[in-house]
Amino acid sequence: MIKIWGRASSSNVQTVMWAAAELGLKVQRIDWGGAFGGNDDPEFRAMNPNGLIPVMKDGDTVIWESPAIVRYLGAKYGDETFWPKDPGDRAKLDMWAEWAKSSLSPEIIYKVFWQLVRTGAADRDMGAVRSGAAALAALMPRLDARLAGGDYLGGGGLSFADILIGHVLYRYMTLDFEKADTPRLDAYYRRLTERPAYAEHVMVSYESLRVV
Amino acid sequence: MITVYGRATSSNVQLVMWMLGELGLDYQRLDYGHNFGGTDTEEYRVMNPMGRVPVMREPQEGGADLIMFESGAIARYLAGRYGKAPFWPDDPLERARLDVWTEWTKVTFAAAFAQPIFWAMLNHPKGQGGDAVRDAAQALKPLARILNYRISEGPWLAGPDFTFADVWAGHLLYRYNVLNFAKAETPSLDIYYSRLKRRPAFAEHVMVDFEVLRLV
Repeated sequence: MIKIWGRASSSNVQTVMWAAAELGLKVQRIDWGGAFGGNDDPEFRAMNPNGLIPVMKDGDTVIWESPAIVRYLGAKYGDETFWPKDPGDRAKLDMWAEWAKSSLSPEIIYKVFWQLVRTGAADRDMGAVRSGAAALAALMPRLDARLAGGDYLGGGGLSFADILIGHVLYRYMTLDFEKADTPRLDAYYRRLTERPAYAEHVMVSYESLRVV
Repeated sequence: MITVYGRATSSNVQLVMWMLGELGLDYQRLDYGHNFGGTDTEEYRVMNPMGRVPVMREPQEGGADLIMFESGAIARYLAGRYGKAPFWPDDPLERARLDVWTEWTKVTFAAAFAQPIFWAMLNHPKGQGGDAVRDAAQALKPLARILNYRISEGPWLAGPDFTFADVWAGHLLYRYNVLNFAKAETPSLDIYYSRLKRRPAFAEHVMVDFEVLRLV
């Protein structure tokens, strides 16, 4: 069975857990990191020298970096909709997945989420929140426009790219800050919330992470 | 033929160009971005709504051109389309063991190096960057050690064979090595870099002078 080390409240763990659930895979998740600790254990560092979660073990092989894990699960266990076999078809999805990780997620997680949830009110840098919000107000309409083509990024059904984009949307949507008007993205998010695997693995309360 | 839109001095363009070079593909590269501009036009924004470089355009047989942005996704496409094992392993698990390092380079190493060190030094009047760069250099040391440990005897990231993951892991090492800041001791990484320099595609596409990017 596939083993995953990482607490359920980590957005990067959520990516992997959601992907595994959509693919119907049985996984064993072990609470690790954050309040659970263990990041610096020598055995854990031997698996991931960065000491970060999630870490996945399938058979004897250890994989870390959540997008690499999602791509692996897609290539190994995904059908044509989830992981198109043709590199060109996959590329049209992969570039948005890459964009979500490199451009979108840092604004949501490291600027807005970090300040509003992971930082106490006294230390909060509202400039960072405003900077993240401004960046997102420019970025989100581009994703909104991209979603004109269908219910999901690839059109009809859920793909690996929806996982890599959608996993940060719960935080984006539930955090209280000024957002751009994105009707297609809102409808897309609603569709995701109706998926049992999304509800279970991504719509996880982050109140336990809040610093007051 | 593949067209790449992006100036030769962009590290993200370099990732794509080096990949093209290693795969032996024909291409034309057009200067776009930074001092060349051209990324704010309507035509360019249709290709990349973010208005950034690189963009790759490739005619497809019997269909519309494939137009891509995000260098990591472009390089992965090229490796997946044109690469053969061992450069691009067929087995998903074999590939994933390498893919870990593409993600790590982009998300962890590049984030700790590109803005906080490379651009901070280039934008600093004396080319040094002061305390902020000193702190960033300190924070980069453990990451360089991780890469050093991973490479160990090498000669490549995966061991005996040069793979797609080397293109990610190596694409910032020219800048990392030629800029003058305090670095960790990394004997394996140093040897690895000297091996990379002997690869013609690395020399051509990555060892590109960046003085033109200096603001002062």
